[in-house]
Amino acid sequence: MSEIRLQAVDVCKTFGIVKAVQNVSIDFYKGEVHGLIGENGSGKSTLMQMLTGIYTIGSGKFILDGKEIHVRNQVEANNEGISIIVQELGTLSGLTVAENIFLGHEDRFVKFGIKNTNAMVKEANGLLEKYGFGRINAADMIDRYNFEDRKLIEIVKSTYFAPKVVVIDETTTALSQEGREELYKHMNRIREEGNTVIFISHDLPEVLDKCDRVSVLRDGVYIDTVNAKEVTEDDLKKLMVGRELGEHYYREDYGEKISDEVVLSVKNVTVPGVIYDVSFDLHKGEILGFGGLSECGMHEVGKAVFGASYDRKGSVKLADGTEIDSIVKAIKHSIAYASKDRDNESIVINESIGDNICLPSLDELGGKTHLLNDRKLKAFAEKHAKEMTVKMVDTDQFVSELSGGNKQKVVLARWVGKDSDILVLDSPTRGIDVKVKADIYALMDSMRKSGKSIIMISEEIMELIGMCDRIIIMKDGRNSGEELLRSPELTENDLIAKMV
Amino acid sequence: MENTDAIKNDEVLAAEEKALKRAVLASRIRAVLPIIGLVAVSLIFNILSDGKLLAPMNIKLLMSQVYVTMIAATGVFFIMTMGGLDFSQGSILGIASIVFCFLSKYNIPLAIVGGICAGALIGAINGFFYVKRKVKSFVVTICTMFLFRGVIEFATTNAPVQGDIVKTVSLNNDQLKITITLIVLIIAFFFFRFTKFGRYLKAIGAGEKAAAFSGIETDKMKFWVYVLAGAITGLAAFINVVKVGSVTANSGNQLETQIMIALVLGGMPISGGAKVKFENVVVGSLLYIILNAGLVTLGLTPAMQQLIEGIVFLIVVAITSDRNSVQIVK
Repeated sequence: MSEIRLQAVDVCKTFGIVKAVQNVSIDFYKGEVHGLIGENGSGKSTLMQMLTGIYTIGSGKFILDGKEIHVRNQVEANNEGISIIVQELGTLSGLTVAENIFLGHEDRFVKFGIKNTNAMVKEANGLLEKYGFGRINAADMIDRYNFEDRKLIEIVKSTYFAPKVVVIDETTTALSQEGREELYKHMNRIREEGNTVIFISHDLPEVLDKCDRVSVLRDGVYIDTVNAKEVTEDDLKKLMVGRELGEHYYREDYGEKISDEVVLSVKNVTVPGVIYDVSFDLHKGEILGFGGLSECGMHEVGKAVFGASYDRKGSVKLADGTEIDSIVKAIKHSIAYASKDRDNESIVINESIGDNICLPSLDELGGKTHLLNDRKLKAFAEKHAKEMTVKMVDTDQFVSELSGGNKQKVVLARWVGKDSDILVLDSPTRGIDVKVKADIYALMDSMRKSGKSIIMISEEIMELIGMCDRIIIMKDGRNSGEELLRSPELTENDLIAKMV
Repeated sequence: MENTDAIKNDEVLAAEEKALKRAVLASRIRAVLPIIGLVAVSLIFNILSDGKLLAPMNIKLLMSQVYVTMIAATGVFFIMTMGGLDFSQGSILGIASIVFCFLSKYNIPLAIVGGICAGALIGAINGFFYVKRKVKSFVVTICTMFLFRGVIEFATTNAPVQGDIVKTVSLNNDQLKITITLIVLIIAFFFFRFTKFGRYLKAIGAGEKAAAFSGIETDKMKFWVYVLAGAITGLAAFINVVKVGSVTANSGNQLETQIMIALVLGGMPISGGAKVKFENVVVGSLLYIILNAGLVTLGLTPAMQQLIEGIVFLIVVAITSDRNSVQIVK
């Protein structure tokens, strides 16, 4: 062993002013499963996406078998012998299974400019058979298969050509136990063939069990590489969390009683094609979490509550019986919404910070005369932007120039300014660095304490566990009926088991 | 190691701040450019025409051309702030003028109201297809432009539509026209600048979906702004008619392009949004008329004038359009 297959040398990547990856150097050996762990936003996915050409490399280099590689996209990465199974859905809808498997490599089946579909399907079916997924038919449209099957297809797609390095990014969380076993089997096979698996996972027992060595990243910085046999789970946690963060990251209280007062009642809400018959109550001063796989419909729940869903059926009512059926009504009755699609739905991207913060509050700012006063508006915007510690030149700066985290702060500032009582936050920390995340969690906690109610929809299981009083799990567009209460014993696996 | 990192960090931040300040300065320069342009164009043509352009008599003539454009441009200004376009303005002016002439035989105030209503109605047709049927605004308004131009030509097939000549021409005085123009401009400026109306329009132009998610009833706003723009041009029809007392098939022809050139020369971003300023209407209309009149006093043929105006328009759009915000005209 110990022959080097791949080296990352001084790799860096910045997004705006956020340093996602800083001077990371790691050696990956031939014939090993190499774990890569770190908290959300620690840079592990970014690092791997640079390796596979999804992102361009900021600075530094990757050396494969002694030769520096420069890949510009996944197809080029494949040609160098590197492939990735991504966290999200990595297959394309609207294509057949076979077309997905050979995406970017169709040339093999092209003769005189004509694609030989039969040959392609035949070869794909052969591969599926070999992998033990014979029940999947390569000629079918991929849309016919569920998330898990599509992940299995992705395993075939990214390993059939015996790549030298296979990156598996947070894939197991989306798979059932059977699916996981399949994946482990192929990880083992790749290792035995003398190739390398880079395995990203939040599940530490799994990492310790399946990996030979484990590297840890924290805040974009390389911390250490350890032999899996020689460390415990706690050792890894210590390496991941490190200094000041961790302790005060999420909420710390447990066992607080949720108020009996219901502020919002959702009954039998259906949005055709997305969610079906969803009902739940939101209590005063609680953080109610929504979790599930990426296509479980939880994001639409937020829109439905905000009156922004198209063709919604069922009812969303406030405590006083007011029906919320439009955005205008929702805002008027103190409901705020931060969308997952931040740039298109949460903020007016080509406007200034000040205009964005004032926009929903213009009625209040106009007062009785309905006249707007520039100085008053500016003072209002400045007050709330500063309160949220938005990094900016002044409030006249356009939000399009801000980093993701600062944009989200502007979004929150406008609703804090509006003094909304019910906040629907969809993926509030998506793509945001650890520091700003901590700020947002602290804000949510203080809002909760002041009696505001929050619906938090998130794909990040850890933050749901860390922040919510109750967590509702959505599955295939329905409320799965599984409700998890706040507890220090709650683990990621508990949620995942209910999600899949 | 930590220390050098921190220093580098500060340097990077300082550089970023510098770049931002430069961007702010650039946008300020861009904002005053149309005014500089207005002064420069006036002076240049005045010198080229040996002082004829800005002679008192000529100024009066110039002003008499600017009213209709300026009033109608106010409505289009609102539309373009939202990121829309309107090519039907010329046809609206023509139809409203015909309605005005017809009703002027009974009663002048009734005729004014009739003109406004006719304009509003065509605006409502534009708004309906744009908002409810989700057809792009330039497609809808190009259709209504041809449609109503056809109606105008049909109505004027045999002879120009005559109004009550005595009553209408008696109203042809500059003071009245100036007053009406000023009233329209002041009211429009007031609502645009000091009420939420203007902010909402800008937000729609800068990001329609996010504007809707901020509680703005975007569809309602878009529809009523088209109605409003039609009504304002309907009012301009009054000034259009009193000048001549009748309507020909060419009445209002190409008003839409004049307005759009005027607004863009005035510094209006073609995709609307946050950088829009009300001054764009006034400066732009004046700039356009002076450019136009200047070319006439130089003795250029109409064909040459159009050629030069086209080139100027293209250059201004190319210089002022913001390439960073890849916005599609709605």
